[in-house]
Amino acid sequence: MGTSTKQRILDAAIRLFNESGVANVRLQHIADESGISVGNLAYHFKNKEAIVSSVYERLFEEFAHILASYLLNPTLSDFNQQLTQYYSFFTRYKFYLIDLFEVERSYPNIMDRWHQMVGKMLIQIRKRLDYYVQRGVLQPEPIEGIYDSLTRSIWMSIVFWMPQQVLKGQPTTETHFKQGVWSLISPYMTQRGREEYATEVQPADIMR
Amino acid sequence: MKPVFHLHPALYARMLDGLSNLMFTETLGGRRDMGFYHDDLWLSDTAVIENVSRRKGAWEVILLFAHHKTPLKFIRRRITSHSCPKRAHQMAFYMRRLAAKDQRGTLCVDIADFDLSLN
Repeated sequence: MGTSTKQRILDAAIRLFNESGVANVRLQHIADESGISVGNLAYHFKNKEAIVSSVYERLFEEFAHILASYLLNPTLSDFNQQLTQYYSFFTRYKFYLIDLFEVERSYPNIMDRWHQMVGKMLIQIRKRLDYYVQRGVLQPEPIEGIYDSLTRSIWMSIVFWMPQQVLKGQPTTETHFKQGVWSLISPYMTQRGREEYATEVQPADIMR
Repeated sequence: MKPVFHLHPALYARMLDGLSNLMFTETLGGRRDMGFYHDDLWLSDTAVIENVSRRKGAWEVILLFAHHKTPLKFIRRRITSHSCPKRAHQMAFYMRRLAAKDQRGTLCVDIADFDLSLN
């Protein structure tokens, strides 16, 4: 029972953080949203910092789970599946961006964890490109260092694709998100890569 | 927030390299890889030991076969079971004599053939 109440509080906190940002949410709001009294809330989490910390704990756990799904299968569809996970992650935790600077100021530990996660994500994307070159689905690096730039562009597309759609006032859909990322990689694909993309990646997107 | 173990980025990159390499070195097994299970011919060139163990209220006679040149080719076969332990041991003795190429049981497997690594 205790766990489920805790879970409910965290779910409510995430909803409110997404709507109003971490700084604007008070304990009373979280208690109202989760349908319990502030006293009961204080029994589970002694203050807002404890809630923020638990929410981020969950967020990092999910992020680590996405990072762990690296090369579960050898084809391009593996990256496509990871993109699905990234999309659902960034949709669920929209506040990551709204509160980026606030978190940097008030919760330095959380920011350190973000830096570590982002570092791993960048390394993973770069290594994935190397692996696809080795498999012959991507061309060998045409100009030295260009795959490092491509890595950063892919990373930016994954992390900041959603806010830029919001800025333009356009809807966010998973298909558009993935197309945005694949459009960066596709110019470097070999004939074999293009064929694999057509058979392994595109059918999965059409199904959505 | 709980302190977490942090892996050095260079080490993480090397681990991912290792994972990528696995995709090239580890290949899926073929049907013939399990052929030794169905094809019993190789059992005639094996060292055999018997094993009797109690299972579900009966004494099971099990024979263990190991190829005398490639001992990693190893198989365990359940032969029969008896409610009487004495009879099961007697049966195990005769079944081993019947199955072993070298009936006196002097054929032995050399541990060096296992090519064990102590790392």
